[in-house]
Amino acid sequence: MSVDSPSADGNDPDGHNTDEPAVREALQRVTDPELDRSIVELEYIDSIELDGPSVTVRFTLPTAWCSPAFAWMMAIDARDAVESLPGVETARIVLREHMHEDEINRGVNERLSFSAAFPDADGDVEAVRAELDEKARVARQYDAVEALLEAGLEPATIVSLRPRDLESVPGQPDESAADAYAIYAADRSFAVTVPAEPIDRLLEKARETGVVIDPDDVLCRTPEREPIDVASFDLVHKRGRLARVNMSSQGGICDGLRESRERRLERPADD
Amino acid sequence: MYDHNGEDVFVIDAHVHLWDAREENITHQGGEEFIQCFYDYHTTFTPEEREWGIEEYRHYGADRMLEDLFAGAAADMAIFQPTYLTDFYDEGFNTTHQNAELATEYPERFVLNGSFDPRDGEAGMDHLEELHETYDIQGVKLYTAEWRGESKGWRLDDEEAFEFLEKCVELGIENVHPHKGPTIRPLNRDAFDVKDVDDAASSFPDLNFIVEHVGLPRLDDFCWIAAQEPNVYGGLAVAAPFAQNRPRKFSEILSELLWWLGEDRLLFGSDYAIWNPDWLVEAVMEAELTQEDRMEYGVEWDLETKRKVMGENAAELYDIDLEAKRRTFQDDEISQQFDLEDHYASGTPAAAD
Repeated sequence: MSVDSPSADGNDPDGHNTDEPAVREALQRVTDPELDRSIVELEYIDSIELDGPSVTVRFTLPTAWCSPAFAWMMAIDARDAVESLPGVETARIVLREHMHEDEINRGVNERLSFSAAFPDADGDVEAVRAELDEKARVARQYDAVEALLEAGLEPATIVSLRPRDLESVPGQPDESAADAYAIYAADRSFAVTVPAEPIDRLLEKARETGVVIDPDDVLCRTPEREPIDVASFDLVHKRGRLARVNMSSQGGICDGLRESRERRLERPADD
Repeated sequence: MYDHNGEDVFVIDAHVHLWDAREENITHQGGEEFIQCFYDYHTTFTPEEREWGIEEYRHYGADRMLEDLFAGAAADMAIFQPTYLTDFYDEGFNTTHQNAELATEYPERFVLNGSFDPRDGEAGMDHLEELHETYDIQGVKLYTAEWRGESKGWRLDDEEAFEFLEKCVELGIENVHPHKGPTIRPLNRDAFDVKDVDDAASSFPDLNFIVEHVGLPRLDDFCWIAAQEPNVYGGLAVAAPFAQNRPRKFSEILSELLWWLGEDRLLFGSDYAIWNPDWLVEAVMEAELTQEDRMEYGVEWDLETKRKVMGENAAELYDIDLEAKRRTFQDDEISQQFDLEDHYASGTPAAAD
């Protein structure tokens, strides 16, 4: 992976500063919707170029025929994430080596809707996104519940957990973000400390999918978005594991396809 | 028969093709994209020294197929799963008629499946009856994402699809194999959505639904449906080659499948010629579940489970008597051609257990 930064920091006339690490940080939040992993971690990003208030991001997916709907979501999300940075006026997104790169690049950069960019596509890209978001929520819940069990909480406490029950335990005095949460047992007889990261990841998806709207909403849900009956706690947790395994299996297919493409691209150079 | 530490395991490869993707047979850009996509899957999960060139991959022919399947006794029998794709390929990509070239010449070695497409209406119904009459098919492979004119796919729970499933019941075609797997460029992924199997399976309890590719990348939806519908099975094609270069992932996927479906509802398939049983059977037979997964899931990939998944479960669905087959194979044409008479004569039959 190469990173080109012809202009080291894009100082705009208004005095805002954006640099390549800030853009990368913004892109960190963009996920491959099928794998629920950051496109930065997945090494999809080829280059980031800054030119004053304009940023160009080039990216490549594991195969030329990755779902156009998924490619579209990543391109839109990348555009919006970069444009949310202070000092950035326009983000140009360039998807490379894809069967539909022309439609996607034109659609995203001209700000068309998916159906305008793909007139003959059937189905609604937002419905696909919503379904994948639910799966990401279920898989993240598996990780969160594993952490909660590990910390010693009982299923009865876990199924009734609400955002308001999470008490931040800051790791560093000068940092506002929590490194851990203190959670009390149902009878408040004791509290346990749970790493914040898996809980925060679940909270993020629970809010995105709308199962948690206010601090009194129950955090853990069935895949069908219902609160969990404690008698079915184990089964719901196993469904979470299954969602996690499904995602990582698909990740295995994507990794494999990308490696194989890279091998193939390397071969002519060996001749 | 696979020699597993001195025990013979009868192998039925439940998912094979005899396809033709030669350029002269391709009539639509989708046909070229389709075979290139298959080829990407081939290279991704094939040991490098066993990779084919794209030209032999387009068209390998009947002789090559016999050799790959049977010369080293990688498989003892195979089930043809047709893929018509007549909008992309002039003569079709892998039709029942094309598969019949081998299946009718070596009926003791092959099971020949048919197919239907509810969008074909009356003509489709006639075609299904004709396939049944001509070849006495006991199963159908269904490709819900197939393009047909303006349509980019269909669903198993469509009213028209139910009429065809009723016809299957009437004709005694008991095994329905919907392809529910990865996106194959340029087909629409949503048409591989696995949820339509649920309604069809509960509406037709006398039919068996063998979901090919275990729904990947929707393994979660598939397992959840299969856990509730006892007539839903999983075909391991696509999951199987993880055994070769993603052993930990294979262990996880197989553990999930064994936990949700149990050992009686999984069928091995190579997806030949995407992958070749001449190395894949060994990779799967020698695969091990990780200690961590065995503890976590409480399942085993032991000899008894392997026997079922590699052959007995398919034999059950297709009424194949494995002991009788073994005796037949002591001097059938294939065994003569590849000098396998001793292979099937040796070893101890089940009576020794």
